[in-house]
Amino acid sequence: MNAVEIVQVSAAWAPLGALLLLALATVATGLDGAIAARAAGHPWQQGLRLPWAETARLLRQRRRTTVAADRLLWRTAGAGLLVTALLKIVVVPLGAWTLSDMSVGLVWFNAMDILVWALVWLAGWGPNSAHSLIGGYRFLGQALSYELPLMFALTAPATAAGSLRVGDIVTAQQGLWFIVWMPVAFLVFCAALMGFSVWGPFSTPFGADIAGGVLAETSGIDRWLLLAGRWALLTAGSAFGVTLFLGGGAGPVLPAWLWVLVKTGILLAALVLLRRRLPALRPDRIAAAAWLVVLPLVLLQVLIVSVVVVGRG
Amino acid sequence: MDLSRRLAEAAVRRTCVLVVEVPGWAATRYAAELAIRRRGWRLASSPADADVLLTCGTPGPRLAEAVGLLWEQVPGPRARATVTARSAVDAAMEQAAAALLDTGHQRADAAQRSPDPAMGTRAEHDEDDEDSGGSENQHADEEHASDGSDGDMNDSDMNDGGGDMDMDMEPGGIPLAGGAQDRDGLEMDVLHVPLGPVLPHWPAGLLLHCTLSGDVVTEARPEVLGAAVDAVPDPPMPGASAVDRLDRAARLLYLAGWEARATDALRLRDDLLAGNDDASVAAGVDRLVARIRRSWVLRWSLRGTGPISSGTCEELGLDDRATGDVHDRLVICLTEARSALEGDRLPAPVSPEILAELLPGLEIGAVRLLVASLDLDTGAHLSTGTAAR
Repeated sequence: MNAVEIVQVSAAWAPLGALLLLALATVATGLDGAIAARAAGHPWQQGLRLPWAETARLLRQRRRTTVAADRLLWRTAGAGLLVTALLKIVVVPLGAWTLSDMSVGLVWFNAMDILVWALVWLAGWGPNSAHSLIGGYRFLGQALSYELPLMFALTAPATAAGSLRVGDIVTAQQGLWFIVWMPVAFLVFCAALMGFSVWGPFSTPFGADIAGGVLAETSGIDRWLLLAGRWALLTAGSAFGVTLFLGGGAGPVLPAWLWVLVKTGILLAALVLLRRRLPALRPDRIAAAAWLVVLPLVLLQVLIVSVVVVGRG
Repeated sequence: MDLSRRLAEAAVRRTCVLVVEVPGWAATRYAAELAIRRRGWRLASSPADADVLLTCGTPGPRLAEAVGLLWEQVPGPRARATVTARSAVDAAMEQAAAALLDTGHQRADAAQRSPDPAMGTRAEHDEDDEDSGGSENQHADEEHASDGSDGDMNDSDMNDGGGDMDMDMEPGGIPLAGGAQDRDGLEMDVLHVPLGPVLPHWPAGLLLHCTLSGDVVTEARPEVLGAAVDAVPDPPMPGASAVDRLDRAARLLYLAGWEARATDALRLRDDLLAGNDDASVAAGVDRLVARIRRSWVLRWSLRGTGPISSGTCEELGLDDRATGDVHDRLVICLTEARSALEGDRLPAPVSPEILAELLPGLEIGAVRLLVASLDLDTGAHLSTGTAAR
């Protein structure tokens, strides 16, 4: 395996990055729909159409508002999730190419993640509705639980690579993927990834028990933006996970850029399959587990990585 | 074929239906849900999510008004239908789909709607006057159309600033939230939010007048909005049965956020209704129970949620099988379905009145799970909501 030299490409390629992100998110949604359709007794092919049918439905639906809604913040937050996902992939190298090879790429990703805190909460606050607001607060509680473990999980690869530059982290994995000796950090990253995408077991801010929570009052394009934003965040997070832990574009035969897409697809599919097997984690339970069990474990992981790095000199 | 027609056809494949069950019409709702699943449609989680508003049964005046308010909140393109018999479900779905496809009709409907959101009625703010006969009429006027999936009328929370603002200020006509001490002694906004009468995975016609401190219910007064006085359900409401246990298990699983297993429970329910062999359904129930028991994540997530002690059970006249937490009751619900298939008699449903005792102090998610975990008899309380005003 030859080390891939990461080059920064012109910002004119950004729309292509956005298209790839949305295409992967659509595939993941289709897969999710296909599995759900089979479980409901329909042919699975019917479920593949689901992202398109839902998009058509929401494009045709009227937007709505509520009495005394904070429209500006509500709409901004709705569109913000998708924008955040796009900003996240700016630092993810697609094989040899990256949109921005900034020296603090890892911190950039984390900063975008903090943006999600504000956006989901504002989306819950905007419509001036009890169920939405409870959804927004549930997310803040959840974010307090996943954010610190996530930050330490991100620290592990950075420590091993001795750099915050995402390109350096990929290069440092040429011999051995980080997942092999940082499994705990990888698992914590995957859980936090579902957390900031407000998805799967971490979807209680959008839960059925609060009539859709943050989604309760949205319709039409506003609803589409929130739903698509969540899937896009999940996809962007998976792509970043591939970059940090699964060797980025490293792999035989196929070109590096294709490996990134394939690995991202596989990680997404694994998450979609996992979701069917797990109930939602009730928000009041997550905090204790995150702070008492997960945080010490991930700190231990960082310690081990640090000792190995020091030992290697 | 033009683009908008194609868009409409694609959209209708994924129609979302908000189903309103009038107490007594459970069998009609089962039929409607089956028809929705067969078409590849899905159930809506709130009026904002819905394309079709389907009422199963003949609602009494107050429930009908609540449904009317919901209709105002459905964004459109929208269609509305009422079915009172299982046999009418399919035709109603066809009509709804046709109405959604009729772009001209939808345009006309949209043109005559006000661009401003519908102003609902306020939740009651005074829990003490419920027994004073004089205020009864006005009282009913205030609360009749409140519905849980739409909290807009009832939560001016967060606007309260430092708590020293003029309490007469009413942004958008909504009074500001009051404050009160929470359990930890810190001040919290206090809201009066009605839960029900129409919420997904919620007992038919149940309306809970809740006082919320943040997301914790501090007070709850249950009430049932019933069917019209002279309406007779078709078929008459079945008693406690395996079908109704499977339906309740599915609700609990939906609320616990486990869609995959909830779908399993619903399919078993529909198999049973379709007259499938009891033995094959029983085997399916066994598999479902085994899967639920094996899930330590579900146990961990639900452990200690909505607990009822054996003392409380006795006090409230509950069957002692209700003792324990929501997870215990989910497993018991399914084992009861299993034993009903073998011909055992099930305990009779209980009055929703007991909720007033059980709910205070619980977070809203726990409230939903607890309500779904009990076999509440909303049918026997028709009288509270049907009295002509």
